[in-house]
Amino acid sequence: MPDFKDKIRARLADLKLSPARENEIIEELSQHLEDQYEQLITRGATEDEAYQTALLDLNQSDLLEPELRRIERRVHHEPLGMGADRKSHLLGDLWQDLRYGLRMLLKNPGFTAVAVIALALGIGANSAIFSVVNTVLLRPLPYKNPERLVMVWEDNSKQGFPRDTPSPANFMDWRDQNHVFESAAALVEISFNLTGAGDPERIDGQRVSASLFSLLGVEPQLGRAFRAEEDQPGGNHVVIISHGLWQRRFGSDPGIVGKPINLNGESFTVVGVMPRTFQFPTRRDQLWVPIAFNAKEAGERGNHYLEVIARMKPGVTLQQAQAEMTTIATRLQQQYPETNTSIGAVVTPLHEHVVGDIKPALLVLLGAVAFVLLIACANVANLLLARAAVRQKEIALRLALGAGRARLIRQFLTESVLLAALGGGVGLLLAVVGLNVLKRFIPPNISQAHAIAIDAKVLIFTVLVSLVTGLIFGLAPATQAANFNLNDTLKESGRDSAAGSRGNRIRGLLVISEVAVSFILLIGAGLLINSFLHLRNVDPGFRAERALTMKIVLPETRYADKEQRGIFYRELIRRVETLPGVISAAVATNLPLTETGNSVGVSIEGRADPAPDRVPIVITRIISPRYFETMGIPLLKGRAFAEEDKAESPAVVVLSETTARKFWPGEDALGKHIKIGPTNSPNRWLTVVGVVKDVRQFELVVEPKPQMYLPFTQANFFEPRALVVKTNLEPLSLAATVRKTVWEIDKDQPVSDIASMENIVSESVARQRFSMLLLGIFAGLALVLAAVGIYGVMSYSVAQRTREIGIRMALGAQRADVLKLTIGQGLKLVVTGVAFGLAAAVIMTRLMSSLLFGVSATDPMTFVTISFVLVSVAVLASYIPALRATRVDPMFALRYQ
Amino acid sequence: MSYIGSHILDRELKKGSAELLILSLVEDRPRHGYEIGQLIELRSRGVLHFNVGSLYPLLYRLENRGWIRGRWVEKPGQRRRRYYRLTAAGEKVLAAQRNNWRDFVQAITRVTGVAHA
Repeated sequence: MPDFKDKIRARLADLKLSPARENEIIEELSQHLEDQYEQLITRGATEDEAYQTALLDLNQSDLLEPELRRIERRVHHEPLGMGADRKSHLLGDLWQDLRYGLRMLLKNPGFTAVAVIALALGIGANSAIFSVVNTVLLRPLPYKNPERLVMVWEDNSKQGFPRDTPSPANFMDWRDQNHVFESAAALVEISFNLTGAGDPERIDGQRVSASLFSLLGVEPQLGRAFRAEEDQPGGNHVVIISHGLWQRRFGSDPGIVGKPINLNGESFTVVGVMPRTFQFPTRRDQLWVPIAFNAKEAGERGNHYLEVIARMKPGVTLQQAQAEMTTIATRLQQQYPETNTSIGAVVTPLHEHVVGDIKPALLVLLGAVAFVLLIACANVANLLLARAAVRQKEIALRLALGAGRARLIRQFLTESVLLAALGGGVGLLLAVVGLNVLKRFIPPNISQAHAIAIDAKVLIFTVLVSLVTGLIFGLAPATQAANFNLNDTLKESGRDSAAGSRGNRIRGLLVISEVAVSFILLIGAGLLINSFLHLRNVDPGFRAERALTMKIVLPETRYADKEQRGIFYRELIRRVETLPGVISAAVATNLPLTETGNSVGVSIEGRADPAPDRVPIVITRIISPRYFETMGIPLLKGRAFAEEDKAESPAVVVLSETTARKFWPGEDALGKHIKIGPTNSPNRWLTVVGVVKDVRQFELVVEPKPQMYLPFTQANFFEPRALVVKTNLEPLSLAATVRKTVWEIDKDQPVSDIASMENIVSESVARQRFSMLLLGIFAGLALVLAAVGIYGVMSYSVAQRTREIGIRMALGAQRADVLKLTIGQGLKLVVTGVAFGLAAAVIMTRLMSSLLFGVSATDPMTFVTISFVLVSVAVLASYIPALRATRVDPMFALRYQ
Repeated sequence: MSYIGSHILDRELKKGSAELLILSLVEDRPRHGYEIGQLIELRSRGVLHFNVGSLYPLLYRLENRGWIRGRWVEKPGQRRRRYYRLTAAGEKVLAAQRNNWRDFVQAITRVTGVAHA
């Protein structure tokens, strides 16, 4: 049997059919010829005759090729197959688009790099901030049904404490009288000197109601929670320790439960070890003992020092709980007018309390990074638009060859999503790196700060953001490609076509929005920087330079009476002051900016006691003689304390200037008398011997409140616990020596919280620094991106107008005219953008007013400065392309296309 | 049959009638290309002959329009062959073309008077 296949193949060769289709046709046709051949043979033809006849049949028609060409080409482009076939084409197209897109990106490495970097910065910033928000704000607290956990506060708004810590007696009444809570627990900070085995150590912990752990729904990892009977005085020498303390101090001893440990010189039995993830209320807390109110505490209604947490019954809403607590508080007001006048009760979600005041800052940052991403999108869209103009020929060709517009849009969108995916990938890497840096600036008191990481949620977020980003910035070029006028492009060079001018309009709009958005960001950052500068310029009332501080808390078990404690402090100060480099040393109850509290109500000699809710509250600090000079607190009048102010000498007090002015307006406070408690209390009258400058005791941002100082020899309620040392050396270099001095006096006395005073000040503004730093970075990023965007658009526009500029110059335009023309064009866009940004910023900065200090949300200085900065940057960004425009050679420009 | 006559028929009539011929032949059952060619030649008593180069483009065109559908079929002991069958769309076209053809032939007959008496 002769082979006809080669003959057929030769005739089909020019058609360039797909191999599969070609083989099919060859198979069918050769079968036909073979059948014919065999038939001829059976009818008696010779092999040669039969072969020639069959071949003739094939060669007789010259219609084969043209016919096939007409039919098969169309088959190729418009597959008849419907339904099921369609899907495979979608996928096939996608694959084709992806490969094509990747080739296009690889062919333009410069463009790809710029776009990917811009997107990576935008997406990376978003992922990083989102992981913080995710961990701190979104993740539920690690307790059982955390949405039912609430904090309950006393509402003492009259005295300026809308969320005051409740007193024990109030707490117990609340607990026993309510019907809305499953259970309620109280806690109060306590710290212990842990001794035995190793250096003595100060450990922070909490006295807690026995029910706390079951209320939270957390079981100890080892041992058990407290029993109800351990919450009674006398039965409370039991302790539950944190996982960290168990590992660090007790070598993860599995048999720790039941063993005694030494706290403040007393023996406590370990009954439980909490799981590694447990922290309550903060990470500092490493042990818990039963609160076990004694009879005196249980009766206290006027001393407010507890924190109260409660679990609402299932189905009870926050409003119901609040209503019930208000009812109870009102009843207590009537029952105990002495102590409870105008004291209400407030119920707040635990989550709100834990998240605290970082929430507005985080939300502002999240908004900021979204803006940065928008700017990045605008930039990449600009790049794509410019490139789409370059690709007009390609688009025209594809349209002419029969590509559908929808198909082209899909191709363009595939390319931009591919670009965004690359950006997202690199962005994720940036986020990982950035997060490690970020963590260092996250204020340590933010809950869960240590748990911040890139998890599945962040990954999903990143993927979604990348996808949406790709669609957003891909849309403009894609629709432009779709509206592309084929005839215009084929007729003209495309440079002056309608599509080009519409592209210019879109590019202009993109620049305007970029400028507007970066303006808002810059204003936000400017306001925060301004606030921070104000904050750092606040006079705290003391001089923080070269002061070393540490906490030394004497346990009552070892230093039972005031006499012994006095001996220790005096000896400590004497020895420290002999150390080389030390100028002076002092002890005090609380150092400024470290702790709140220690306020007392006072009465003024010669005046009737005011109503209970009008009693003047004064922050009280118990100090040793040279405290003022050591802390650098200026003495304004009278004298500081001296060695002569002994326990039995006349009782004296030093007031802050605000207190003196408030108590005796227009009079000299020196020699006047005040008393702690009401006028008829047994306390001694205190003679004012000095007035010092106001100190910001609690927070730099809070105006100084009334405060007074008492000598530690005479005060018998609060105990000094902080040592401060003024030195002419680097303060921390002295720490080891001072600690050794403490141990020379008492080898079991722990020393903790070693820090320089400057450190304490800077720590106290950590939150503000965090927001300022980040928003500053993002605003800077936005500025750079916007500048790049303006530069890109101006360069492109200059390149496009080369011919026009050439003609102008040929007609006599000077370089200055061309510069003016080009920069003017850029300036017009920028000023429009600034105008929009200004309007938006006025509205948006109000959202961040809670983050501001000392500046208003519409601070004119900031607005003017930022406008100026932005316009200057924009002029600079359009200056370079403008300069290039002036170098245009008129002859070249005229000949050019 | 004379070569010229057949040639003229080939050129003039095939244009209008070839489609009708093929559609009619696959109406009752699927057939492969060679069979279709054979049947045309056989039933026209040798007057009509399609050579390979014109038959198959025609088949492909009809298939392309969705009037017939070709499918490779393997029968025991034989090579696989492509069988063409009439589609629903093809049936309608066939009915219409038959009517046209009948009208056309009647018109020719009335004009030329060649008809059987």
